[in-house]
Amino acid sequence: MATESGGRHRVVTATAAIGVLLLAAPLAVTDEYHLHVLIATLYFAYMASAWNIVCGYTGQLSLGHSALSGIGGYVSTLLLINAGLSPWIGMVAGGVCATAVGVLVGWPCFRLRGPYFALTTIAFAEILRIWTENTEEVFGIELRGAQGLSIPLKGHAPALFQFDGKVPYYCIILAMVAALMAIAWWMERSRMGFYLKAIRADQDAAEALGVHSTRYLLSAMAVSSFLTALGGSFYAQYYRYINPERNMGLDFSIELALMGIVGGQGTVVGPILGAFLLTPAGEITRATLGGKFPGLHLAIYGLVLILAMLFLPKGLIQPLRGLLDRRPTVSGAAAKSTQA
Amino acid sequence: MPLLEVSSISKSFGGNQAVKGLSFTVESGEILGLIGPNGAGKTTAFNMIAGYFPPDSGEIRFKGENLAGLRPWDISHRKIARTFQLSKPFGDLTVLENVMVGGFHNQGSRSAARRKAEEVLAFVGMSDRMGTEAQNLTVVDRKRLEMARCLATEPELLLLDEVVAGATPAEAVAMMEVIGRIRQSGVTIVMVEHVMRVVMGLSHRVLVLHHGETIAVGDPQAVSRDPVVLKAYLGARYAHA
Repeated sequence: MATESGGRHRVVTATAAIGVLLLAAPLAVTDEYHLHVLIATLYFAYMASAWNIVCGYTGQLSLGHSALSGIGGYVSTLLLINAGLSPWIGMVAGGVCATAVGVLVGWPCFRLRGPYFALTTIAFAEILRIWTENTEEVFGIELRGAQGLSIPLKGHAPALFQFDGKVPYYCIILAMVAALMAIAWWMERSRMGFYLKAIRADQDAAEALGVHSTRYLLSAMAVSSFLTALGGSFYAQYYRYINPERNMGLDFSIELALMGIVGGQGTVVGPILGAFLLTPAGEITRATLGGKFPGLHLAIYGLVLILAMLFLPKGLIQPLRGLLDRRPTVSGAAAKSTQA
Repeated sequence: MPLLEVSSISKSFGGNQAVKGLSFTVESGEILGLIGPNGAGKTTAFNMIAGYFPPDSGEIRFKGENLAGLRPWDISHRKIARTFQLSKPFGDLTVLENVMVGGFHNQGSRSAARRKAEEVLAFVGMSDRMGTEAQNLTVVDRKRLEMARCLATEPELLLLDEVVAGATPAEAVAMMEVIGRIRQSGVTIVMVEHVMRVVMGLSHRVLVLHHGETIAVGDPQAVSRDPVVLKAYLGARYAHA
């Protein structure tokens, strides 16, 4: 552990350098499309990191996080359309709803061992998507089914989460990613992070050490659900349009999981790495070949996943970490730690 | 009042009666050895005490409190710790991080949990392996790691499930020394063990289980001469011991 400090300095320096670079990016990237790709990449980095809070650290696989994002997007949008409530407040309301739903879905599953959580999340997200797609109106509130909802245009209205141009959206999503990284970093070092990793490694052994596994799994699920829903609201405001397929679809859930797994689950930087690799790759294939070979980006995702599993089972973070850490030999670590 | 009081607990899995009306008490400060052939119900008894599954009947009391309905983490917070027969290290965490999970039991902050973990690792003699990933440890070191994790939770009662199994004679001696020091530090111990030299050398009392029932209990020397025990478990080799 004493060896970590050297590596940690390098990690912090590298992260800060990349952060400054990203902060300055809008000055260099003036082209709307490229800025859009950057925003989409950061959005996925944010969503994959939110997924990682419960799935990466605890080893529970959720393939239904799109439902939580959809709840966030729909709640903030419906509140804006029907009550004129600012999405800044609406996104918190969406977060609270998603947290309640996430905990309700997780509660029975976390008491069981096995693939129940993964199966339940898929089923739940699909039911929600299909229901939304086929519901025009509920309790007098227009949902407009598969057509989706458009955000009423208000021009440049920061109080309503609407801006001219893409730069403000870029700054917001960058800040969201930074905040989420800080949360993950803090959690990883806290009792909760240790307990979650212990549950992931061996739930029985963790329980023997006093870890109330259900409670910690649910806490992680609650935090992850809330953060995912905030991302869903951001998506709705940025695209000014949401529909069930894009916001609640299984594809989206799988993409998040892939980014987390390929980048490195259960680490702060891993999901972000995954998003920065897969989102541009997806955008480029869609932009250049999308018309001719629909779905090709999914095939490429599949290929990347297979390669990652074969060669980097711990994710892209693994070789990078080796580079940054240069962990000395075990005896070196021992010598240092006994001095400490 | 005994520290732990087990009153006629039974457990069956399907048609297999693993533990049948088992009763025993553990006095504060002693080492109780639990022996018996494979399948005698020793680990099942541990699992019931530690809250992994409830007994079909009977009662377990710790410091007078009935443990019925308590889950493993509740039991842990009552200051009972256990190791597993097949050790369960948190493989992708370092040795230090493994023990820190136990350290967080009574310590809120990371630095305090770390101090506790370092202290315990020094106690069991694993300070030189703090940075090693647990999955790279030898079988014996994994067992020591499990003991360290338990100690980091500061238990009053420690249930050790075959911590010497698989050790070389020299390692067994080292492990016995550690167990002796744990008891000296004021922790009461119940140990399941197959290595007779260890059980006889450390235990104040020995309880022999056979087919889920107690067939003998008492002083190690007396038990080792008990003809019923010799017949059921120890075999002719020990008849002249």
